[in-house]
Amino acid sequence: MTALQHEETGPARAFSRGAKAALLVLAVGITCRLLGAQFDWLVGWPDALTVPMTDWVGAAVGWFLSVFKPMARAFSQLLSYPMEWVGAALRSAPWPLVVGAVTAIGWLIGGFRLAALGFIGLGFVVISGYWIEGMNTLALVTVSVPLAVFLGMAIGILAFEVPRLKGAVNGLLDVMQTVPAFAYLTPLIVLFGFGPVVGLIASAIYAAPPMARNVLLGLERVDEEIREAAVMSGGTRRQQLFLIEIPAASQQIMVGFNQCLMAALSMVIIAAVIGGFEDIGWEVLLTMRKAQFGPAFLAGSVIVVFAVVIDRLSAALAEQRVAQSKRVALAIFAVGAAVALWSVLANWNPSGVAMLDGLAETVDTGVGTFTANNGAALDAVKNTSMFYGLLPLRIGLADAVLPFTWGFKWTAAHSMGFFAIVAVISGVLALRGQVTAGAVVAIAALFLEIGVAQAPWPLVVIGAAALGWVSRGWSLVRLVVILLGLILLSGLWERALLSLYLSGASVAACAVVGGALGFLSATSTRVWAVVRPFCDMLQTIPMFVFLIPVLMFFQIGEFSAFLAICMYAVVPMIRYTRQGLISTPEDMIEAATASGAGKWQTMIEVRAPYAAPTILLGLNQTILYAFAMLVIAALIGTTGLGQSIYLALGQADVGLGVTAGAAMAILALVADRLVQGFADKRRKALGL
Amino acid sequence: MKTLMKSGLSALALTAMASGAFAADLGATDEPIKLALNEWTGQHVTTRVAGEMLKAAGYEVEYVTAGMMNQFQAIADGDIHATLEIWSSNVSDQYAVLKDAGQLEELSDLGLNAREGIAYPAHVADLCPGLPAWEALQECAMNFATAETLPMGRLVDYPADWGTPGADRMTGLDLPFKAVPAGSEGALIAELRASTEKKSPLLITFWQPHWAMSAYDVKFVDLPAGEDACFTDPAWGPNPNAINDCDFAASRIFKAGWPGLKDKWPAAHEILVNYTLAVEDQQPMMGAVDVSGEAVEDVVSAWMGANEAKWKSVVDAATK
Repeated sequence: MTALQHEETGPARAFSRGAKAALLVLAVGITCRLLGAQFDWLVGWPDALTVPMTDWVGAAVGWFLSVFKPMARAFSQLLSYPMEWVGAALRSAPWPLVVGAVTAIGWLIGGFRLAALGFIGLGFVVISGYWIEGMNTLALVTVSVPLAVFLGMAIGILAFEVPRLKGAVNGLLDVMQTVPAFAYLTPLIVLFGFGPVVGLIASAIYAAPPMARNVLLGLERVDEEIREAAVMSGGTRRQQLFLIEIPAASQQIMVGFNQCLMAALSMVIIAAVIGGFEDIGWEVLLTMRKAQFGPAFLAGSVIVVFAVVIDRLSAALAEQRVAQSKRVALAIFAVGAAVALWSVLANWNPSGVAMLDGLAETVDTGVGTFTANNGAALDAVKNTSMFYGLLPLRIGLADAVLPFTWGFKWTAAHSMGFFAIVAVISGVLALRGQVTAGAVVAIAALFLEIGVAQAPWPLVVIGAAALGWVSRGWSLVRLVVILLGLILLSGLWERALLSLYLSGASVAACAVVGGALGFLSATSTRVWAVVRPFCDMLQTIPMFVFLIPVLMFFQIGEFSAFLAICMYAVVPMIRYTRQGLISTPEDMIEAATASGAGKWQTMIEVRAPYAAPTILLGLNQTILYAFAMLVIAALIGTTGLGQSIYLALGQADVGLGVTAGAAMAILALVADRLVQGFADKRRKALGL
Repeated sequence: MKTLMKSGLSALALTAMASGAFAADLGATDEPIKLALNEWTGQHVTTRVAGEMLKAAGYEVEYVTAGMMNQFQAIADGDIHATLEIWSSNVSDQYAVLKDAGQLEELSDLGLNAREGIAYPAHVADLCPGLPAWEALQECAMNFATAETLPMGRLVDYPADWGTPGADRMTGLDLPFKAVPAGSEGALIAELRASTEKKSPLLITFWQPHWAMSAYDVKFVDLPAGEDACFTDPAWGPNPNAINDCDFAASRIFKAGWPGLKDKWPAAHEILVNYTLAVEDQQPMMGAVDVSGEAVEDVVSAWMGANEAKWKSVVDAATK
């Protein structure tokens, strides 16, 4: 429904088109609502028309595995070498040496500030007692990030150089980002064998898309003048690309690198789910099983520390900087080496240190005490959100309004009254010439009365197709109908609607909260200084960690899942909104200031329109993140496609796993294409 | 009952083997035997005890962390050689597939007596007088109701991929409870913890041995005994119209290994087949690790030293 609202703000020349589409959808909706009681097939897709798609997919995947297994095993063998070398080097290097080296590098790159960051960060890892596990995790990331960066660069450049492939490449990226790793974990293990390499591959698959997208966006936004200058100075196409255009796009590419890194670190947990080596993810899983928030948070923080240190160092690398004294760096490193020598001689082992265990314990008890003291308040928060928000959205006012929840029973009379009011509002809007708005209000009301999870399939399919028609035209209609038709045929429709409802609600919440936070972060560096570490943490700490307090406070169920999804999916919205707002070219701002525009006027009239494409890319990422998080949310007992994926994992039903994963990807893809369709229109309307 | 008989039989077989045992070849003692460490402490104890026994027999042992659900392919490929605590209530179907294909060998029961049931933290007895008798639940179902289950009570069931035994019980006994799948073990524990902290009502499907049983003072609801007839004959039990109107059938805990184990390390195979561990032994060790915070290695080696009688004979029978 969030997508529906975009229509109201659509440019005026699509007005009649939008109105036509909205009226058609409204007609379908009313028909389904009136006749749904008599004709079941108007609401639920008839079972007779489903095909055993999961079996087919299972058989196809089985064939694929048997053919490609030898090749994949060889590849996995190949990857295991660098990983073992890096791992062995990191593990056997005495910790003071590593700390010294990182501090010295920090000094070289960014002077005292970054040297301190490196020292404090790695010092934290030492005193947490997770040094060895941390080094294992680092080894995994050291191999998977270059793999993902290379893959992402290649895909991004390919899409830029061969515009014909752009559509297909975007589809591929969406699939890579939205089909959850859990869905193809079983085939991946069969294919690549047991061990951390599978985790490495899964994390590279997941981390490459943000890189590719930003490379593409960056290249597309290179100034025409720079491009022309490159053409005029001669040289081959390859020289133009690598010597001029990519450096010119470096700022956007660095955003991609940063996102790629964060995504790779967030997937470290997958390696642990499979097992094979003792890394931080494994510690998180062990503590998560015991519902110990403190220790899980401590172990997860090690991943965050790595992310922050690597991110800040790499970000500083991209900026112009003053040269630091090499002698100081050498001195720092020498101190590290000296302490290393001492620690080897004294046989001092950091895994015995557990200085922060007491703190972890305190945090853990804190969560318990908070739950004990605020039980009633927490329940009130949960029940209010459920009764007046999520529940009506899922099963509709007609079913959600009960004496236990709203204090009265929703009857047919209430429905009549509700629709009468809606009809008046829509009628008034239509009479004032806003036919589209009127129809959209009526459609939204229909959804609210029926509930998203119980929405008749013709309403959903035709609704999505109509949006496609308005936003882009018949090509998108075709895509939407075929993809949604596949879900209908597979028999996973009901579960897909549940997933749609949950992620839709989360995306709506994220768009509002994330947009506001991103805006504030763009206007004030002080706000950003506070928000940024939170973003880093939410994006890289294994989300399992936050499931524990959410569960303690709100118990198993949809509200907890909703919160967990929001926590993860809100980050790209914040980051991209800020990035878009602050990256307005200086000359545009100067021009605005010169013509007498104030700070706010500049923000609204110059920065915001220029930022719109970036912000919409953020929304796109938020949608994809929300779908990606559905699987983790299934760990706290949601139903829908996420749960199917776990069921498939338990039953080793490769077909069900892959099909449910694909259904999830389809929903994300459709939502994403619709948003992008409107985004393109907006871009054109603004002349960007 | 069937499973009980089976474990009885294997106990018999064990004594027969121990008395008339023949010493087997040690095999490749220079190559490490890899044992799977899964995600829970009890399994770590079980595995480390077995590992120490193998070391006592003269083997090299390597512990490999492995996800419980994802370890079986690794065992079939020979990347891991044995896993020692598989719960029949919670084993992936992939296990059966690989076993039937001859890519996995089942190595007999561990002898750990497990119990599953419908449970509640002790304070809930005040919120539903009449517990632990199951009939009491009929009356006080509303006390367990939440936003998502109204007007029924809420039962926190196993994660969906472990099956739905709790929901089956509620249907069988015709109790007004709606089963909510937990999603993960961590979620089950968090529910127990939150309920204990908040003194709020909670009905949950749970099992022992588990450290949380004592940590949160968890009690089982008394249900009619889970006899075979209950699961096949609707007429049996308090509800004449339904099956499953009784307690859980006893769950089986067993070991499995790589099929090449027998040929490569014959004596180790024999030791692992004959190895058993009792709840009375495992539970205190789990407590020492999870509640007192000791290291698994230390706890296990202390136990090995103090209880030689319980394991030495199995090692000797295979090697001497």
